[in-house]
Amino acid sequence: MIVECRIDDLLSLIGKKLSMKKLEDTLFLVKAEIEKIEGNIIEIEVNPDRQDMLSTEGIARVVRAFLRFESGLKKYPVKKSGKQIIVKPGLNKIRPFICCSIIKGIPSDDELIKEYMHLQDALTSTHGRNRKKASIGLYVYDDLEFPVFYGPQIPEKIKFVPLGYEIEMDGPTIMKDHEKGVEFGPIIQAHKKWPLLYDSKDQVLSLPPIINSNYLGRMTTETRNLFVEVTGTHLLTVHQALNIITASLAERGGKVESVTVEYPDGTTDETPDFRPENMTIDVVDINAMIGLDLTGNEIIQALERTGFGAKLVKVKQVQVLIPKYRMDILHPVDVIEDIAIGYGFDNLLPAMPQTMTLGKVNPVTRLKNKVRDLMVGMGYHEVMNYIMSSPELLNDRMLRDRPVVTTGNPKSRNYSVLRNSLLPILLDFISQNQHADYPQKIFEVGDIAIPDESKETRVDQVPSVCGLLTDVRVNITKLMAEIGFLLRNLGLDEHFTFESEVNSDFIQGRSANIKIDGEQRGFFGEISPEILSNFGIGYPVVAFEIFLPRSTDWTH
Amino acid sequence: MSEQLTEGQRTVLRELMNLGQRVPASQLANNLNQGEERVISILNSLASRSLVQIHTREIVSHSLTNEGLGYVESGLPEVLLFSGVKVLGGKATFDDAVAHSGLDPNTKGIAMNWARKNGWVQISKEDGTTVLRSLVDTPESEMSDVLEQLSTGKESVSTTHTESLKQALERKLVSEVVTKKFEAEIIGAKLGEVDQLLSVGVKGLGDLTPEILSSGAWKKESFRPYNVDIQPAYANYGKKHPYAEFNDWLREIMVGLGFTEWFGPYVETEFWGHDTLFVPQDHVAREVQDQFRVAAPYDHGFIMDRKYYKAVKAVHENGGDTGSKGWDWPYSEEVATRLCLRPHTTPVSMRFLYEHREGPQKMFIIDRNFRSETLSATHGQEFDQCEGIIMDKGLSLRDLLGYLTSICKGVGIEKLKFKPGQFPFTEPSVETFGKHEKLGWIELGGSGIFRPEVTRPLGIKETVLAWGLGSGRLYMAAMGINDIRDLFSRDLNWLRRSHFVR
Repeated sequence: MIVECRIDDLLSLIGKKLSMKKLEDTLFLVKAEIEKIEGNIIEIEVNPDRQDMLSTEGIARVVRAFLRFESGLKKYPVKKSGKQIIVKPGLNKIRPFICCSIIKGIPSDDELIKEYMHLQDALTSTHGRNRKKASIGLYVYDDLEFPVFYGPQIPEKIKFVPLGYEIEMDGPTIMKDHEKGVEFGPIIQAHKKWPLLYDSKDQVLSLPPIINSNYLGRMTTETRNLFVEVTGTHLLTVHQALNIITASLAERGGKVESVTVEYPDGTTDETPDFRPENMTIDVVDINAMIGLDLTGNEIIQALERTGFGAKLVKVKQVQVLIPKYRMDILHPVDVIEDIAIGYGFDNLLPAMPQTMTLGKVNPVTRLKNKVRDLMVGMGYHEVMNYIMSSPELLNDRMLRDRPVVTTGNPKSRNYSVLRNSLLPILLDFISQNQHADYPQKIFEVGDIAIPDESKETRVDQVPSVCGLLTDVRVNITKLMAEIGFLLRNLGLDEHFTFESEVNSDFIQGRSANIKIDGEQRGFFGEISPEILSNFGIGYPVVAFEIFLPRSTDWTH
Repeated sequence: MSEQLTEGQRTVLRELMNLGQRVPASQLANNLNQGEERVISILNSLASRSLVQIHTREIVSHSLTNEGLGYVESGLPEVLLFSGVKVLGGKATFDDAVAHSGLDPNTKGIAMNWARKNGWVQISKEDGTTVLRSLVDTPESEMSDVLEQLSTGKESVSTTHTESLKQALERKLVSEVVTKKFEAEIIGAKLGEVDQLLSVGVKGLGDLTPEILSSGAWKKESFRPYNVDIQPAYANYGKKHPYAEFNDWLREIMVGLGFTEWFGPYVETEFWGHDTLFVPQDHVAREVQDQFRVAAPYDHGFIMDRKYYKAVKAVHENGGDTGSKGWDWPYSEEVATRLCLRPHTTPVSMRFLYEHREGPQKMFIIDRNFRSETLSATHGQEFDQCEGIIMDKGLSLRDLLGYLTSICKGVGIEKLKFKPGQFPFTEPSVETFGKHEKLGWIELGGSGIFRPEVTRPLGIKETVLAWGLGSGRLYMAAMGINDIRDLFSRDLNWLRRSHFVR
């Protein structure tokens, strides 16, 4: 994810002067990278697990801690506002959860408003899974009359002026005509009632997760006090999104106040809740995973450099306080990584590898390599092609009608299916090379995919070899001698037979099946003129294809 | 013996002797019924023995362009225009003259210009229209002569016409070609020596035959020399694809470091592709814009091992017995059995671990992966990865950095930088940057320690280090390829010329 910051703004949030080089080196060590600098604008790539770094404020917070300008757990005081959010019954299957906060006294100018919107967008698209799991709304606090209600409403009865419009629309119209309705409508459209957020004066705040009201949901440079709400289908995600955006706004100097969410079943939830989570980790486990011998105090310092609170308990354990805006901490290993980051990846020395094992190539690779050597020995030039191909090439031009593994979302029809045979691929290859010198003897050794219901993935993946010769005149007897040379050198003398068979790929009377111990294993012949003309090939062609076993044992 | 002449030298010298003067190489080639290049090559070898002197001459020849050729047939535009004026009684408006001249309207501007420059017509404005008056009886045009002369097959024109020739070149009616001509003659002082060399006659053996060997006749004879100083002709024989050779080389390095090669299918269930790797079921990497879904003839596979499936499901929903919180999100078998083209080779590592749950193990794979991308110079729908795992007791992050260092050294990259990274299935995660000899710092790949959520469902207690290299990128750098489409080049001429050397 790319975060765009203003350099002066970022540096003022960091609070101390930094050279660009120092900033770049620091970011590199905390999982971020400078993508581009242009004038006062810097683009920083942030790893997708660090949603708390999706804003200038978040990046500045991480840098401050890492450079020890302000390390340890960052505390955001929260005052109870006494305001209520009342959740009406009937949202359980639609969008049951809501968390809110109030932030007072934030600065706002055009640039800042743009940044708040960016963070909101970035959070809802990634963390909120494109608003499915969570979506965020910001409102002018002073225009609201509490309590605020969150409840289901019949679409036709939903009426308000959506953001960016001048005229009132009803629910169905918003879904049909408003670009956000068209884009995000599918999240709630199937329900008979849609979630609506409105205040005690019956003013609509928003139709989550689609669009805010133009009156209450439009921040201006006059706005100082904000009401933030997050709705969604997953309570943890909703809480985390609220914590991240509230903490960011608090970094701008806003004073945070909490609200009480009252659910229809009588439970209440006071949000936001910045009380850190606890995790206790053994010092031994930390050192074992990183490969160091750190003391408890060194571990605590490393944790504080990455924004955690930490203290030693019973000498051998570290109690870690995890800030509530970190949603990537699922397991002690996640904390241990941050200890390694806090220690500094640049301080970690690579250890000499100790694990002794004997290496070997896969038997199939060895067989494939043997085949490649034999083919080269007979004067064939190796080619490599994509595994993906088109049904037009594999079936239509070949006059075949064989099942083929087909993808549902190809970007191009030319690469939409998996090849089920190498012969069409090589015919296509020579059709592209008719300007090159003749004779052309080419081969490929590679896998093909054949649909097979009995397999776990419904596909039988078969290693295959195809050899092809084209020239002014071609000779099938010579090709047969070459196939014989190949098979005999694979240890199949007296195991293989050629049995003539009519095959639409080839001229009648000039094609046969290759059988190994009576089992059909391939085919060869002189390509029929009809297929040559389908490929636009102007020279005669003889070719063979043999399916290889998955081990050196041909009986499998 | 080195004094002796080769058969080719002998033939050329004899012909030069016969002609007794300086002759063009082309004439020699013609007389001897040989390719001119071969004759020049032989002349060069004779020149290096100081028997023959070669003169190089640049010859300028001229020929008509299509436009020039057209004017030979139809007449020059200015001539046509002039005759238009004449037909109308020596005075006409420009438009009338054009209409009566049979001129292509596109050339009427050129026609007027040249008719004026040649002094054939006078141009004036009368009542706003352009009027032409003829000033001569017949248009004398050197240009016509030039074109006429060249049209007869001559390559040059009479010297009096050089000015017109220059104009014709400017007007692109004539094109100029400069060719090098080689002429050769026997150096006067060496005539005697040449005579003597030729008079020796064809001495020595040609092909060595079994009969000569058995009779021992070769003992009394010398061998006729061949010209072995020439560049051999280009030839096409069988050989391996350079990219395949590169992969063979990588494989050799991995085996040398003690890794065992493994394999796995292109079509995977999302269970193997993502679930076993602890990628949440609603992760963007599974969306249709990122990975290929298989739609037909089957769009879902099945679960082979219910016990393993249950353990993976528990890990996703609540962390199972791993001490993790899990994704706190319902886990769907429909998603787990959905078929996709594998977007990375890591499912192969899982299939390997499934069969090898105790260390020490070191495994690698070099194979194809698929992403739903539009084919362009920088993105392909297919790409190769070289990746592997190391499983053993007591491995640490520093061991991982050690392995990365030795693997990168193996492929010739000595200077490395490590950056903390992020992958759903490893923690800690590392991104490796290497200083490449040609490209500077490049991202080589990702790595990390497999999460407990990944290894515990298999009952694995040891540490598993996982790493991956963008092998296609290393190959492109080694071959100086900038366009990803050239990895699988379909240009046979390019392939016949190309090779991978390390």
